[in-house]
Amino acid sequence: MARRYDSRTTIFSPEGRLYQIEYAMEAISHAGTVIGILASDGVVLVAEKRVTGKLLDLSGAKEGGYGGSGEKIFLLNSNVIGGVAGLTADANSLVNYSRTAAQRHLLLYNQDIPVELLAQRLCDLKQGYTQFGGLRPFGVSLLYAGYDPHYRFQLYHSDPSGNYSGWKATCIGANSGTAQSLLKQEYKDDMKVKDAISLVLKTMSKTMDSTSLGSEKLEFATLMLDPKTNQPKARIYKPAEIDALLVAEGLVKKDEDTEMKAA
Amino acid sequence: METSFALTGKGYVIIAADTTAARSIVKMKVDADKIKVLSPHLLMSYSGEPGDTIQFAEYVERNIRLYQIRNLYALTPSAAASWIRRSLAESLRSRNPYAVNLLVGGYDTTSHQPHLYWIDYLGTMTEIPFGAHGYGSYFALSLLDRYHDPEASLEEGLSTLKRCINEVAKRLVVSPDRYTVKVVDKDGVREVEL
Amino acid sequence: MNSLAEKYSTTSPLSKLRKAQQLAEDEELSDAMWGSSAGFGSLAKGIPSFTVAPVPDPAAFLRLHTDDHADPNCRIKIQHGTTTLAFRYKGGVIVAVDSRATAGSYVASGTVKKVIEINPYLLGTMAGGAADCQYWETYLGMHCRLHELRNRERISVSAASKYLSNLVYSYKGMGLSMGTMICGWDKTGPCIFYVDSDGTRLKGDLFSVGSGSTFAYGVLDQGYHWDLTDEEAQELGRRSIYAAGHRDAFSGNTCNLYHVKQDGWHFIGNYDLSKLHYEGPNNVAGQGYGYDVRTEGRTSANPPPAATATA
Repeated sequence: MARRYDSRTTIFSPEGRLYQIEYAMEAISHAGTVIGILASDGVVLVAEKRVTGKLLDLSGAKEGGYGGSGEKIFLLNSNVIGGVAGLTADANSLVNYSRTAAQRHLLLYNQDIPVELLAQRLCDLKQGYTQFGGLRPFGVSLLYAGYDPHYRFQLYHSDPSGNYSGWKATCIGANSGTAQSLLKQEYKDDMKVKDAISLVLKTMSKTMDSTSLGSEKLEFATLMLDPKTNQPKARIYKPAEIDALLVAEGLVKKDEDTEMKAA
Repeated sequence: METSFALTGKGYVIIAADTTAARSIVKMKVDADKIKVLSPHLLMSYSGEPGDTIQFAEYVERNIRLYQIRNLYALTPSAAASWIRRSLAESLRSRNPYAVNLLVGGYDTTSHQPHLYWIDYLGTMTEIPFGAHGYGSYFALSLLDRYHDPEASLEEGLSTLKRCINEVAKRLVVSPDRYTVKVVDKDGVREVEL
Repeated sequence: MNSLAEKYSTTSPLSKLRKAQQLAEDEELSDAMWGSSAGFGSLAKGIPSFTVAPVPDPAAFLRLHTDDHADPNCRIKIQHGTTTLAFRYKGGVIVAVDSRATAGSYVASGTVKKVIEINPYLLGTMAGGAADCQYWETYLGMHCRLHELRNRERISVSAASKYLSNLVYSYKGMGLSMGTMICGWDKTGPCIFYVDSDGTRLKGDLFSVGSGSTFAYGVLDQGYHWDLTDEEAQELGRRSIYAAGHRDAFSGNTCNLYHVKQDGWHFIGNYDLSKLHYEGPNNVAGQGYGYDVRTEGRTSANPPPAATATA
């Protein structure tokens, strides 16, 4: 029965559901986890990479401008970083769109795009794909960690339907329910970035199915104010920095592969 | 002749514009208000080609209001001025460009600073501590170079404005006799009597 | 022959296009528009557009064929010389105009109606291009009526004048020449808006437009105050037009006088300016507005008393 309403995104089922959107959300719940936490002096994002392996060439990413492998965490604008979960190809398209939207705002208003407005721009696009002619929705959820002078640090989440909402701490991707309830227990309103980093890594280590936890599985980023210029500054950690962070937090887990390498 | 002045001081911007609407040698209206209140902390004086002035000012007014409705907060003065400049610059390359000169003054509630922008019909924009448009500017600019004080209190700022108005009344052949004067500071926008 | 056949064929692409256009035009009055949000239903068809003469550069075409500015020898002369005035006072609005139409130095007519009766509550005055004013103010009247039908109330003077102002602004730079006052009585009371082809629109108590306006202002400004009686107000309007007709070569012949009250406008009368000069509005010799008539027998000579005594 449901099959009759599956093929077109733009058609409601008799129960009033849009199956394609629900399937898109389902796709995301199998993707690598992304967790974001809002602190009083910054925002923290961590993401679980799924594409790993000894043969994967990450030499470019290691030295790459902002660090990260460019799979999960992106710099959208100088004041916003985005974490994506879902189809990577769709995500790349959305990241490109959001960067263009941010630059267009800069051109028009000579100021960085407010974080919520950037989320709105993307959601307008995503919503369009739930309504117009035979198109497939984007199979992507995003977390936006950003800063603007109006509301200072902010964390937003958007899903394939084009809904978005603001959060103190949230999670997308696989096991997001578990992570979410962990965050709910541990989150405190007066958290600093330092505390948020601990919490986000702890939550991630408990959430991940994988037996190992290291830079080859993680991407990590923070957004804080540069003490010199008082302007927002994103820091996307390089693999070595992530490993150092994990050691400091005492969260390093090793599986046989890495142990063999070490030996 | 159409004249407008604006100056900043400690935490405020004052904008003054004459109140005449003239057609050839005739004053058609002597109590026109040529300073629009664009948002709770933003003012804009406009002068130039008749018709264009009001059409453009209302276009700006409506768009800035729309932004405020959509986003629940107003544009900062710098963002608003940039948008206005771009609108004017884009119109300049159209079939029917707006020939309007503007002074945009506002108080940035996020950084607690007053800002003043001078924009002309060619789309030139510059941020300034004080400025003027029209024939009055030939007298007022040197005067303001001499007397403007960025830390002046509102009373001192208004008396500097009076100097400008008096100088123009004294030296300009056809000088305006009345001005609208509006102030914007942390408390918002208000009209003042000189 | 082929083209003729195509013109009347019912199956050719051209006729299909015609049909499609007709269909689109019909849609303009679709049910959706009826009493809808002030007829904004039509916005669904895109932003309203307007028509211009089918020549590459309408403004240049107009300049070439009329006496606008540069070439006074052109065949088509646009009427420029005029005096019109309107003012607002406690008893309503007085509208007074002259009736001369000039084409260059030639008096083309002395019986022009320069007050355009838009509807029973709205008057428009005519200065500048006679055709422009007549056409667009009649067009405005049509839209005022549509506004009444859609909104079940009369259009305000402010809204009507803004409609006209936006309309002429969209033709800016294409050679329209109008200087008009939209006068009426609405919920806010008596009301006047000055609208011209530059796109200027001003609300005010007192306006005068045309080549004779400066002369009219001279008399009008001095005699004007809010608490005029109806008779005083009508007299002031008449006298101001007389003054302009007397001094301005491009204004004259007769004066048409209107009075707008709460129940709409009333035509007060048509006055021959020559008669006003000698006899005034009541046709009594010696009561004219003319300087010589008014100062008959008065002299500035101031001989010393002694001289009178000896004489």
